[in-house]
Amino acid sequence: MSAPVIETRQFIAGYERDLPIVNGIDFTLAKGEFVAIFGPNGAGKSTFVKALAGVVPVFGGEAFLNGEPIGGLKPHAILKRGMAFVPQTENIFTTLSIHENLQLAAAPLVRSAQGPAIRRMLDMFPDLARQSGRLAGSLSGGQRQMLAVARALLLEPSVLVLDEPSAGLSPKLVSDVFSTLREISATGVTILLVEQNVRAALRIVERGVVLVDGRLRFDASAEALSSHPDLGALFLGADHASEGAA
Amino acid sequence: MNPQVVIDGLIAGSMIGLGAIGLTLVYSILRFPNFAHGEMIAWGAYFAMSLSALIGAVIGGAGAPIAPFSFGWGLVLATIIAMGLTALLALAVDAVLFRIFRKRQSVMIIIVMASFGASMALRSLLEFIYTSRPGYFTRELQIAMPLGGGMRATPDQLFALGLTALLVVFVHLLLTRTPTGRAMRAVSENPSLSGLFGVDVDKVIRTVWILGAALACAAGVMSGLLVQIRPYMGFDLLLPLFAAAILGGIGSVPGAIVGGLIVGLGEALAVQFVGAQWRAGVAFAILVAILLVRPTGLFGRQA
Repeated sequence: MSAPVIETRQFIAGYERDLPIVNGIDFTLAKGEFVAIFGPNGAGKSTFVKALAGVVPVFGGEAFLNGEPIGGLKPHAILKRGMAFVPQTENIFTTLSIHENLQLAAAPLVRSAQGPAIRRMLDMFPDLARQSGRLAGSLSGGQRQMLAVARALLLEPSVLVLDEPSAGLSPKLVSDVFSTLREISATGVTILLVEQNVRAALRIVERGVVLVDGRLRFDASAEALSSHPDLGALFLGADHASEGAA
Repeated sequence: MNPQVVIDGLIAGSMIGLGAIGLTLVYSILRFPNFAHGEMIAWGAYFAMSLSALIGAVIGGAGAPIAPFSFGWGLVLATIIAMGLTALLALAVDAVLFRIFRKRQSVMIIIVMASFGASMALRSLLEFIYTSRPGYFTRELQIAMPLGGGMRATPDQLFALGLTALLVVFVHLLLTRTPTGRAMRAVSENPSLSGLFGVDVDKVIRTVWILGAALACAAGVMSGLLVQIRPYMGFDLLLPLFAAAILGGIGSVPGAIVGGLIVGLGEALAVQFVGAQWRAGVAFAILVAILLVRPTGLFGRQA
């Protein structure tokens, strides 16, 4: 088995120390894996990945990225160590152009590597390349997600973490975003995804974990999760019961 | 109308504009109006005055005027060092005061009150060290040159206008063409996302303090050169600075300078037409009138 890219032990995080949202999660993500985190609203999915990325305070336990402890580090320091996080909303700078967003993301690289890295992303996302001078605030929801993913991939992170990339998108755009993620995963990039859109996500990921009340309750292959008879009722909440069981 | 109003207004406006740039940058990045910013103007002027005297005492001839100006190269060197010292002072105030409240995520009113406290403490310290007696960079008298159209200006005043233009172009290029400027604009829009893009937000905050304080020092030296140096010189400029920053649109460097020029011209017109005692009132009437038409200021972004 390959070495874990992300590993957490009894990981505790949240917004208030006395009221942690993530309550002792043991989780492992191996190199090259494509894993989704599911769970009902308030389960702690987003808080878990935000805490891994340094956006939400960590109150206990341990978190490792490629074997290095990252608990309590600032977001820019965690990015430097190889984890690129794409928030659910407000994930690009709307007052900067597409090109400026990518320039900003490339800033941690040495100057000579910045241009090629930006060109590589524009080649990967030709729709962005065609309008690179345009203000990012004028892009559609799907284009914004593509730009957010492009900036995250620019530094060639060892793991890409996304918080509900399909939120607020039309079914067509969800399909576009997910096929892009599948293509990225096929190139060997490790991906961790928080998703509410269970049915669509299970079609592209290899493994799924289910969080309930800030704890990891279920960890299985996408195939096993898709066919689990009680999954919807037990783990995804009433809203998603029919979808999860489908 | 006496056309001299235009020159008087532009000169006052350029000092206000320079000071307002620091204020608007701090507001857009740290999200609070820094009432201690005026003290950076006064401390900058006093740093430059002390250093200029020291340089003049150590190196003979450093204080001799460079024609046609009233000051020597000693003051130029002193101003450059004073900009660094003022930046260090701003960083020190941030380290012992504002950073603590930021870490505690204190509400804005607490940070504003802290800036009031810092303002009073810094001003009192200036009075304690230098007394409230006015100081001067030079005792040289200058004759105003005719500029045409009934306007006159001294070489020092024209120097101040030129230096303001240079500094504004420098800051504008820094913000729009450099990685540092991009990072500052990013933190201004969304500090949390900036960290995820790899921006060291603390470094950007330090840069803003350094830049704002250095420009405040330049404004202080200009004010000291053209008027006089007093412990209250920054405090007296504070309200016009806020008016300029708000008028131009918070976060906008060109806006701050244009706002400064409008406030400066408004004040000069008030002095001529309704009396000096109405100066501040007229400037604020202009501010209110523009904000009624355009609430985000002249160059501000729509929310």
